[in-house]
Amino acid sequence: MAEPIAVTRVVRPLHPFFVGLGGALLMAALFTDFMYSSNSLMQWANFSAWLITGGLILALVSAIVLIIDFALGRGGPIRWLDFGLLAVAAVLSIVNVFIHTRDAWTSVVPSGITISAIVTILLAVAGLRGWCVTATRLAGRGEIA
Amino acid sequence: MKARPIRSACVLTVLAMLCACSGKGGDPSKQYGPDPYLPAPGQFLLPPMSVPKAVGWKAGETPSVPAGMHIQAMATGLMHPRIVYPLPNGDVLVVESNSPGTKPFRPKDYIQGKVKARAGAADKGGNRITLLRDANGDGTPELRTVLVDNLHSPYGVVWVAGTLYVANTDAIITFPFTPGQTKITVPGTKLTDLPAGPIDHHWTKSMVASPDGSKLYVGVGSNSNITENGMEVEEGRAAIYEVDRLTGAKRIYATGTRNPTNLAIQPGTGQLFAVVNERDEIGPDLVPDYLSSIKGGGFYGWPYSYWGQHVDERVHPQKPEMVAKAIKPDYGLSSHVAALGVTFSQGETLSPQFANGAFVGEHGSWDRDPLNGYQVIFVPFVNGKPSGAPIPVVTGFLASDKKSVRGRPVGVALDRTGALIIADDAGNAVWRVSAAVGH
Repeated sequence: MAEPIAVTRVVRPLHPFFVGLGGALLMAALFTDFMYSSNSLMQWANFSAWLITGGLILALVSAIVLIIDFALGRGGPIRWLDFGLLAVAAVLSIVNVFIHTRDAWTSVVPSGITISAIVTILLAVAGLRGWCVTATRLAGRGEIA
Repeated sequence: MKARPIRSACVLTVLAMLCACSGKGGDPSKQYGPDPYLPAPGQFLLPPMSVPKAVGWKAGETPSVPAGMHIQAMATGLMHPRIVYPLPNGDVLVVESNSPGTKPFRPKDYIQGKVKARAGAADKGGNRITLLRDANGDGTPELRTVLVDNLHSPYGVVWVAGTLYVANTDAIITFPFTPGQTKITVPGTKLTDLPAGPIDHHWTKSMVASPDGSKLYVGVGSNSNITENGMEVEEGRAAIYEVDRLTGAKRIYATGTRNPTNLAIQPGTGQLFAVVNERDEIGPDLVPDYLSSIKGGGFYGWPYSYWGQHVDERVHPQKPEMVAKAIKPDYGLSSHVAALGVTFSQGETLSPQFANGAFVGEHGSWDRDPLNGYQVIFVPFVNGKPSGAPIPVVTGFLASDKKSVRGRPVGVALDRTGALIIADDAGNAVWRVSAAVGH
């Protein structure tokens, strides 16, 4: 029984799971911002503040896991477009979490919800591209993965 | 190439963030009196903040008073004293209290809790009233005893005709009490409920009796800085109540007073006055706290507007019809001083310049750099109205480096000898200021 000469398989990085999780929270904040802007009920703005805080904590976790991916050799070369989209979304969200510490209306309208919308667009692109900032790596047979 | 506009947007926002943090407060004297200077409101990523660390008083240290006056500690080692109340027989009641504690709503609330703790505002309150007896009037009490214990965040206290009224954060409680008594053993009776939990953001319930003793006026603070806990929890808050002393029947006397932290009756006229703490986080010089006469049925702006018709855009939905009604307060004390105590002078007991006016205890700022307040001032009155620049009376609560605070003044009162007594909650002390003659 002859084996194929070069069996390869895809090595999956770990970070996209955490990026996707955090991204979902940040995008959900656009929805809660919108709800507050339409009904003025503070609890929606409170949800936004928590969602953005949670999203940023997961962004930090994602960055740590990305380093682990590199350390374990699970990630190929970095894809700068995806990295850039996520980095800009994270920086804007840091600004946004401070805006959401304001009290009442101006914690959301107009600047908070605007930044939430920009972040959502950036993340939608990054999400459709796979929540992944490293190129797919193929491992040959016998290689550590 | 694609990323360049986004990148420059980032740089701009970060720059804007840094600029927003560096707003310095101007000269407070521009905000004294009936027409304070009011700059345009700002919106910040991080509100201007400066919080000195509470370090307490070392043995022998005292606040400073002008030449010709003498200051001494009447009591130390108290548990967060907030209000001092002299009884007709000369005994002084000290209300030791702090917030019942609030549950966080937002991530911000956790951070704010830490900031408060640094400034000594999170110390546990005694939930009790201590009695000091200084029969010979030398300022050193011969007796110090706990009069009543197990109260629920008490603040205002009033004695009228054989009854001691204590304004807990959630109700007025009455105790049969005769001055001279040093211990209350009977359980209190509830006179009436007051707006309290579950949030109870501004928890203090200031209280004063009407000149004829038939009514009690009670100051109830707002449940937020500026409605960020929702409009529905502001029902019946940011108001001054009038309570019938005997039946407990109550009605709202005035509204729109964000946090009426203390009340006083003007001698002679019987007019009700209040010190009110105004809103935060729209700039180091907004909004000035004030001392004002309070008109029955009057609306003083909160939350919709400040100092008359200056609209606060953080409130939504807005109410132009309420803004139009808002009364301009009498006298600006400058921004963020946190006036917590007020009492009228009774002639030249301390000094001729303090014959006619009111003493105001300023707890001190957090939402401002440089710091403001942290002193007891005297506001002169002319023809029954506050007039002219305030005069600092008791200072030195801040250490000279302005980075640490030894004490913070709260309630003020005049004892039977005309000496000024001051509750100091961060210093856990009661101070007594007298004319130096006789010492």
